[in-house]
Amino acid sequence: MAVSQDFKVDLLGAIPSLRAFAVSLSQNADKADDLVQETLVKAWDKHESFQPGTNLKAWLFTILRNEFYSQMRKRGREVQDSDGIMTSRLAVHPAQQGQLDLKDFRTALEQLPEDQREAIILIGASGFSYEEAAEICGCAVGTIKSRVSRARARLQDILKISGEDEFGPDAIATHVIGSSAA
Amino acid sequence: MTSMKDSTVAGGRSRAGGDPLGPNSEIGRKLKQYYDELVSDDVPDRFAQLLAQLETAEPARKKD
Repeated sequence: MAVSQDFKVDLLGAIPSLRAFAVSLSQNADKADDLVQETLVKAWDKHESFQPGTNLKAWLFTILRNEFYSQMRKRGREVQDSDGIMTSRLAVHPAQQGQLDLKDFRTALEQLPEDQREAIILIGASGFSYEEAAEICGCAVGTIKSRVSRARARLQDILKISGEDEFGPDAIATHVIGSSAA
Repeated sequence: MTSMKDSTVAGGRSRAGGDPLGPNSEIGRKLKQYYDELVSDDVPDRFAQLLAQLETAEPARKKD
């Protein structure tokens, strides 16, 4: 069956999101674009396995993510584990008056292990539900929740944001719910 | 509008304000700012070209 025009248009439309996710994962713009290219070729080749009406973006993110980890394995690069060494090499200065620099945030994000970074990106930025993120990452919903929670705690720690008290009336509720997910 | 998903999932669920990555969270806001900047980056031509190539290659590859 030929690839439909709709499919092609949808692929094109998904490219900005794919690139954003690829940069978030690989932390490198060139590698990210290679990942996106691989993803598009793979998606094209196996378009018949996509169920129309289901979430194309999630399907593509799954392909991209698999590609990312398989490339990392091929290069013999080991996947960072969550209890790595990052806390010792933090050079981010504390946020002042709640105005956190985007550059500092990026630096902090880079220091997260891949599994936590992808989880917090999928949930907090790409707009996926916990269920969808779990499907994309091939793990349990609870695992995603715990990764998001650890990622958030670590970012707060790196960026010296304590409890986010100054950011609105719901800070206490936020804090309580945030901790209960751990 | 049928696909509300992308815009509602992150912040719009029932526990308003309690979402640990919602609008009351500095981390949540920065995360979106970081990501939105990446999404709005210009897409290089190579991707449109790639899809065009795949499209041209296809009839030769698969005859059905």
